[in-house]
Amino acid sequence: MHLFRSILVFFLLTSFNSFANNEPFESTYYPLPQSNILFKGGNIYDGDGNEFLNTDVIISNGVIVAIGEDLPVSEDTIIKDVTGKWITPGIIDIHSHMGVYPAPGVSTSSDGNEATSPVTAEVWAEHSMWVQDPQYALALAGGVTTFHVLPGSANLIGGRGVTVKNLQRNTINSMKFPDAPHSLKMACGENPKRVYGNRGQMPSTRMGNVAGYRKSWIKAEGYLSKLEEYEAKSDEAKELSYKPTRDLELETLAGVLKDEILVHNHCYRADEMATMIEIAKEFNYKITAFHHAIEAYKIADLLAENNICAALWADWWGFKHEAYDMVQANIAIVDQARNGTGCAIVHSDSEIGIQHLNQEAAKALSAGNRAGYNISKARAMKWITSNPAKAAGIYEQTGSLKVGKNADLVVWSGDPFSVYTKALEVYIDGAVAFDKNNSFKPVSDFDVGIIDAAKDRVE
Amino acid sequence: MMKRYTYMCFIFIFNSLLSANIVIENAVIWDGESKEEYIGNIFIKDNKIENISNRKFQAERVIDADGLIVTPGLIAPLTEIGIVEIGALSVTRDDNDDFYHIGFSIHDAYNPKSTLIPWNRSNGLIGSITVPSKGNLPIGGMGSFYILDGLLEISSIEDNVMLGKIGGSNNSSRAMQISLIEDLLSLANDSKKIDLESIDEVNEFIDDSLLASKLDLMPRDIRALNKLVNKKITLILNVHRASDILKVIEIKEQYDIDVVISGGQESWMVANKLATASIPVIIDPMNNIPNSFDQLGARSDTAALLEKAGVKVMFTVPRDHNYHLIRQGAGNAVANGMSYDAAINGLSGVVSDVFNIKGRGKLKKGFYADLVIWDGDPLEPASMPTHVIINGEISDLTSRSSRLMERYTSGEDKPNTYR
Repeated sequence: MHLFRSILVFFLLTSFNSFANNEPFESTYYPLPQSNILFKGGNIYDGDGNEFLNTDVIISNGVIVAIGEDLPVSEDTIIKDVTGKWITPGIIDIHSHMGVYPAPGVSTSSDGNEATSPVTAEVWAEHSMWVQDPQYALALAGGVTTFHVLPGSANLIGGRGVTVKNLQRNTINSMKFPDAPHSLKMACGENPKRVYGNRGQMPSTRMGNVAGYRKSWIKAEGYLSKLEEYEAKSDEAKELSYKPTRDLELETLAGVLKDEILVHNHCYRADEMATMIEIAKEFNYKITAFHHAIEAYKIADLLAENNICAALWADWWGFKHEAYDMVQANIAIVDQARNGTGCAIVHSDSEIGIQHLNQEAAKALSAGNRAGYNISKARAMKWITSNPAKAAGIYEQTGSLKVGKNADLVVWSGDPFSVYTKALEVYIDGAVAFDKNNSFKPVSDFDVGIIDAAKDRVE
Repeated sequence: MMKRYTYMCFIFIFNSLLSANIVIENAVIWDGESKEEYIGNIFIKDNKIENISNRKFQAERVIDADGLIVTPGLIAPLTEIGIVEIGALSVTRDDNDDFYHIGFSIHDAYNPKSTLIPWNRSNGLIGSITVPSKGNLPIGGMGSFYILDGLLEISSIEDNVMLGKIGGSNNSSRAMQISLIEDLLSLANDSKKIDLESIDEVNEFIDDSLLASKLDLMPRDIRALNKLVNKKITLILNVHRASDILKVIEIKEQYDIDVVISGGQESWMVANKLATASIPVIIDPMNNIPNSFDQLGARSDTAALLEKAGVKVMFTVPRDHNYHLIRQGAGNAVANGMSYDAAINGLSGVVSDVFNIKGRGKLKKGFYADLVIWDGDPLEPASMPTHVIINGEISDLTSRSSRLMERYTSGEDKPNTYR
C-alpha cells in the first residue's frame, strides 16, 4: 500500500515535472471541503453594482448556482438564515505586500524590493512570499478572499506580481489563484529616482526614469521580434538555427507586449501618469492600473478614455511631495468620469488597511456624495470587488456574485459600510475559510506557541 | 393672563442674562466625560460655554442641530501637526535634532499655517499634542499642546510632554535603556538640590556628574529632567512588550513621575496592574499586526480589555497626516468590544484630563467652546462635521484639499490654472 502510494507520487511528480518545463510555478491550489449552502433572506451587494434585499443565494460545488427568491434546493443543501445580514463578494485587494513584507517586519524577511538595479523585471514577488506570514489570517477576518502581491516601488520596473487566494498553505504555489495572469510592477516618480540617485547612478531625475522605461521597452521589442522570427521559421529551418537564449528580464517585458502580463504602475502625479500613457502608446502595451494615484482626479477623463483603472487610498496623503494634493473625492471622481465609465479601486498597500477596505470605501463614498455625486453603496462595492478583479484579470472567475462564478463571498453582520460591521463568515470557492462565531480561522505556523507555549499567539 | 405676564417677565430677565454669541439647539450631546448622551441647547458666549440646558436662549447666531450629535472638538494625543509638512522632505521636518538630548523642544518650530491644520480641523480635530520623533536617548524630546485655530498667535501649552521608548533595537539592549532611564531620573532627583536658574550651578552640577558629562548633557537637558520629577511634564513612553510595561510601572512608582504608555500592544496582558498604577495608554486600535518581536501580543480588542480593567484609553492613528482618524480608530475599538462612551470620551475629555489641558476637551459650563456638530455617528468614518467651533468661533471648513476638489469638479471649460 505504502509502496504503491510512493510509486503513484513518483509518477505524479515526474509527469508534473515534464509539464513544468514549459510553465514553472503553476498553481496547485485546491479548495477546502466545500458545502452546498442556501443563504436565506440576506441583503446583497452583488459587486456588479446591484443591490438585492431579502434575497437567497445558493452555492454548490464551489460556485454560485442561483440568486433569487423561493429557490428550489437539493436535499444535501445546508440552509443558513441570514435575515438582516449582508452578503457581498469576497473582498479583493489589488495592492498588497503581505508575504514579501511579512510581520514581524524584520530585516531578515523584508523581501519586497530588489533594490540593486533600476530594472529587475526578472524577479517574481511569489518567490519572496513567506507563506507563514500571520497577516493573511487578519485580512481574511476582514473579508479578503483574494489579494495581489506586488514587488515594492524602489525600481522603475520592479518585477512580477502574483494573485493569490487568501487560503494560507505551506507552499506559495498552492495559494496561487489558478490561471490568474501575472502583473508587472512599474514605478514612477520619487522612489526610483531617490533610491538610485542617492547612489549617484541613473535614474536620479524623472527624465532619467522615463529614459529608463523606454530603454527597457526597446530591448524587449528586440527580444520579442527575435523570438517571433525564430517561431515563424519552418521546423527544418529551426533545426538549422539556435533558439534565442531565454532572458528572464526580457521574457517578462515581452509578456507585457504580448498582452499576457498586466501592467500595474505605481504613479502619483497626474502629469507623470499622462507621460506613462504616452510610453504605453509608443510601445503598444496597455496599462491596467495606476496605483496610489493621489492626483488621478486631475486626469480622470484621460484614465477613463484609456480604460485604465486607478487603485487609490481613501485619504492617505502628505508622506511625500508627490502625495501632497490629496482630495477625498478622488475615488468618486475617477468612478464618475466619462459618464460613469471610470474604473476606481480602493486598495490598501497596508496590512492594517487590507482588513478594513469596506471602511475605506465608506469614506470614499461619503466624500464623493458630499462632493455632489449620487453614488450608491451598491456601486461603491465595485471598488473593492469587481473592479480589482478586473484589474487582476480574474473577473471571469470572481469579484461579483453571478451564477457560475466562484463562490467567494462574505456574510457580514450588518451594513458592510459601517465601522461596527464584522465579517461573520468568509467563503472561498464555496468552502468556509473563516467563521467568526465558531472561532474557525487559519493559524499560521508563526503564531503557534510563540507567547505562551500551549496557546496560539493571541488567544 | 397673570401667568403669561410672569412668563414674559421671566423671559425678559432671562434674555438679558443670557444673550449669547451662538446657541446650538437640539443637540444630542456627548460631553466628553459622561457615560450617556443627553439632549440640550449649548449656549456660547465669547470663547466659553456659558451654559448647557433645555431652556431656549437668544443669540446672534442660532444653529439648529436638529438631533445631530455634538461632541467636544477632538484632541489627538500624539501627532506631528505643525512640525512635519511632508514626511519625505527633510527640509519640511522639524521633529528631530540631536544637539540637545533630553531638553529638545519642538515648541517654537510649530507652523500654524501648515496645511495639516485646516485639513484636520475640517475633520473635527481642534487640538494636538505635537511631539518630536524620539531622540538618541531612551527618554528625551519635548512636545507641546496646540489649539488648531491656525492663528499666527499660537495658543499652546509649552513642553507638557516628554517622549521616551523602551524596546527591541538594533543598537542597544533594553536593559541599558531601562538602566539609563533610572540613572537619568536619579540625576533629576539630584537636580532638585540646585538652583536651576543659576547657570553656574547647573554647569557645576553637570561637571560633577559622570553620567551628565559622558552624555554631553546641556543645562536645557537638566532643566527638562527636573520637570519630570517635579511632575511638570508627562512622560509618554513608547513600550509594547508586557515585561517592559511592568518595568515602567516600577519606575513610575520609584520616581513618582507622570507616565503614559503609547503603543502598548501587549498592555492588555498587564491591564490590571496598569489600572492600579493609574497609567493611561494611547493605542492604535486598528493595529493588530505583530509588527516586531515586542508586539507579538497585538490584538484588535486591546482597548476593550484595558477599559474593562479600568485603564484610561486614548487613541492614535496608523498613518501620519490624518490625525482626525483617531475617531475611526475609536469606532473600531467599539466594534471590538469597547463601550461607546469610553471610546468617544477617549477622543477629547480623557486626553485633556490626562495631560492637564485645563478648560478643554469637555462640553461643560465654563469650558472653552471647542465643539463639533456631526452629520452622523462621529465614530463612523463616513460621517463628517457640519460645524467646527474653536474658542467660540465658527471655523471655516475650507482646506487646501477642498479647494483642489472644487477646482477639478467645476469650471471644466477652462484650464485648471484659470479656474
